[in-house]
Amino acid sequence: MKKIVTADKLPVLWSHLAGQGKLLLPVKEGPTVLFKEWTAGDEVALDAPTSAISPKDIFFPREETYMRYRCRGPVLELSAGEEFEPVTAFGVHPCDLKAFEMLDRVYLDQDPVDELYRDRRARTTVVALACFAPDPFCFCSVFGIDPVSAPGADVIAHLDRQSGNLMLEAQTVKGEALLKGDASLLTEANGQSYGPALVKTADFGLKLSGLSENLKGRFEDPAWDKLYKSCLGCGVCTYVCPTCYCFDVEDYGHEMAGERFRCWDSCMYGQFTLMAGGHNPRPSRKERIRQRFLHKLQYYPETYGEIACVGCGRCLRSCPVNLDIVQAIIALGGEQNVQR
Amino acid sequence: MAERYLAELTKIRDAVRQDLLGGRINLLLGWEKGHYWWQSRPLFAEDEKDLERLTWDSFCAVNLSRYLLDELKDYQKIGVLVKGCDSRAFNRLLQDNMIARERVVLYGLPCPGMLDYSLLTAVAGVAPEGIDEENGRVVLKTVAGEKTVERDQLLLYKCRDCLYPDPVVYDQLLLIPRGAKEAPERYKSVTALEELPADERYAYWDKELSRCLRCYACRQACPYCSCRECFVEQDKPRWQGRAYQASENFLFHLVRAYHGAGRCIDCGECQRACPVVIPLQELNRKLIKDLNELYGQFEAGLNAELEPPLLTYKPNDPAAFSEK
Amino acid sequence: MPAALNEKIAGWEPLVVAFCCNWCSYAGGDLAGTSRLSYPANVKVIRVPCSGRLNPMFVLRAFQRGADGVLVAGCHPGDCHYSTGNYHSRRRLSSFKRLVEFAGFEPDRFEVRWISSSEGDKFADEMEAITGRIKALGPNRKMRDARWQSVT
Repeated sequence: MKKIVTADKLPVLWSHLAGQGKLLLPVKEGPTVLFKEWTAGDEVALDAPTSAISPKDIFFPREETYMRYRCRGPVLELSAGEEFEPVTAFGVHPCDLKAFEMLDRVYLDQDPVDELYRDRRARTTVVALACFAPDPFCFCSVFGIDPVSAPGADVIAHLDRQSGNLMLEAQTVKGEALLKGDASLLTEANGQSYGPALVKTADFGLKLSGLSENLKGRFEDPAWDKLYKSCLGCGVCTYVCPTCYCFDVEDYGHEMAGERFRCWDSCMYGQFTLMAGGHNPRPSRKERIRQRFLHKLQYYPETYGEIACVGCGRCLRSCPVNLDIVQAIIALGGEQNVQR
Repeated sequence: MAERYLAELTKIRDAVRQDLLGGRINLLLGWEKGHYWWQSRPLFAEDEKDLERLTWDSFCAVNLSRYLLDELKDYQKIGVLVKGCDSRAFNRLLQDNMIARERVVLYGLPCPGMLDYSLLTAVAGVAPEGIDEENGRVVLKTVAGEKTVERDQLLLYKCRDCLYPDPVVYDQLLLIPRGAKEAPERYKSVTALEELPADERYAYWDKELSRCLRCYACRQACPYCSCRECFVEQDKPRWQGRAYQASENFLFHLVRAYHGAGRCIDCGECQRACPVVIPLQELNRKLIKDLNELYGQFEAGLNAELEPPLLTYKPNDPAAFSEK
Repeated sequence: MPAALNEKIAGWEPLVVAFCCNWCSYAGGDLAGTSRLSYPANVKVIRVPCSGRLNPMFVLRAFQRGADGVLVAGCHPGDCHYSTGNYHSRRRLSSFKRLVEFAGFEPDRFEVRWISSSEGDKFADEMEAITGRIKALGPNRKMRDARWQSVT
């Protein structure tokens, strides 16, 4: 099923979709583009490159309450945290979509599955948006990601740069349901198609084949002694990253009433591995940097068969000292004929 | 790279090479190019080979003084390239007794102000392929052609209202001083916010702070945040909750800013490091402005001997509350 | 942000947290009591060893967890039990008060007063006055933790 929404009807499309639940899309906010809930009057930024923070929080929110407790006399009452409503996630780039696949493996391909993640996933219709102009920070082609197709999405959208019209193509039953709408808004495509634009991203001369195997046994490699030095120890890289999925659990309240929530955590923080007795197996930034990059480049591939990076370029854009995953790959030898 | 930078780089490299190879310093903290022409990242140079990567251009924004805190554990004597703000950051750490003056050699680099890549892109309309600089102008080169813009319009926010481009403390001044600057618009945004009704000001900060990821990049990049244990990590009692609530964001940002009262050098590294561009410098500048108004003109980091305003008092001090 | 940050609710009574110096204002409160002066029960007194002990996070934490107004009461300048504690707090709390106002709080939400141990009447008057001012302002919602209501 293929439908077209003309540029002038886009605001109508947003309120139409928002009427069916929560609508999340890239919105221009101040100097940044954020993936957030749409409210009337927002400046939607479909033509922007990747959002400042990855849209992983659609399924894996920064904070999510999953249990409330209250003592009434001798009775302890427990209740579930949040109700889930239907969500449409509009404008997910193919790299971020690929990252969803990686999060799925962690949260769904195990027993027991992560119910919170599963429920959010099930209630969300994902509309991917084909890229037409990659940012200089993008390097998804290194990972074999096609920036104009999105196999895992319910709907794939193509934006026509000239007219600003949007072509929506359903890829799943859920996607078809989404496109069954007001005919005056969603018109039939009638064989029209927006040819996929030629999109080429940077590749930094990276050579990844064999890198994961090569990293085995290099835990004490001298490269780590240099690589970590410039790291400031903040959590920017992990929080903007679409494939980082660590969380922490904390309580709010007191002994009589309160709630338990989970929230993002970062392996870059000193407290991440701090144990109750005071011992910390990753006492300095060196161990933390090593953990982060080995997780992406060796541990994840060992378990799931591919490197946990999609080349979205957010760490290249946001790290205050430019210590990003490409720096790490190069420092660890995953480079050929570097062109700078 | 502009001719001027090349000549200056040669001068810098010659000076530090002599000291590094001669053993006067064991490590040099400088900058090297990252992946892109608009990124210059910290360089930790131990030998001649490392020094080949040394760079000096309009993108050397990272404040290197902070790295001394860690590197002095591993190296006996360290050389650091310092711009105006970096030198004041050094004074700040010195005043907090975090580093020993005699173990550091400071190479002063009067600074032209660093450029902001996102501004270059915004002004050019597309991502520029490169730039040329001459006589206070920048030529932006794009696929569509060239565009010439005044350099001042492309500076990082932190550099726009810089008062001291020249290092205030150094062992060797390597380049020609640029002289003190004026910053008539330094408090412009602060004043504009002060004039809003309280509820609108709250709404403003509520919206700006709602973007906060609490990645703590602002804290980590900051040269006055040198506490071994930050209030954020303290857990007996636990001050900073982890939840992404407005209330927790306010707590973090107000306390972070307040811990810098009288100590913040207004280098703006916090705002530069912020991935979602929260206007943190306005919080810092509000405190600087108020302390200056109430307790006399003071710029942190100018002189490590001068006592910061919150470490001292006068019996007849004014107060900002109605009881004097 | 809620439509009205300080919307009044029927039956609402303000909660005022007063941090009182052990050596002066707290004793001033005692004197108010023994002199049979009354002051509003809206004020909850927390004793601190000196106004200089006041960590600004105390104030913010109070606002997070339900306070509608916060008062710090210490010794008159020159009278500090520890000689200089209140001179330091005068500077600190002055700049902190301005920062809190810059964040969007109304000036009356956070105040500082000097009350000696012999000023029982002033203690009662100030408590009456701040409660009145907060009543006029209405409930505080700024910086209030959204979860606080559900756990109280």
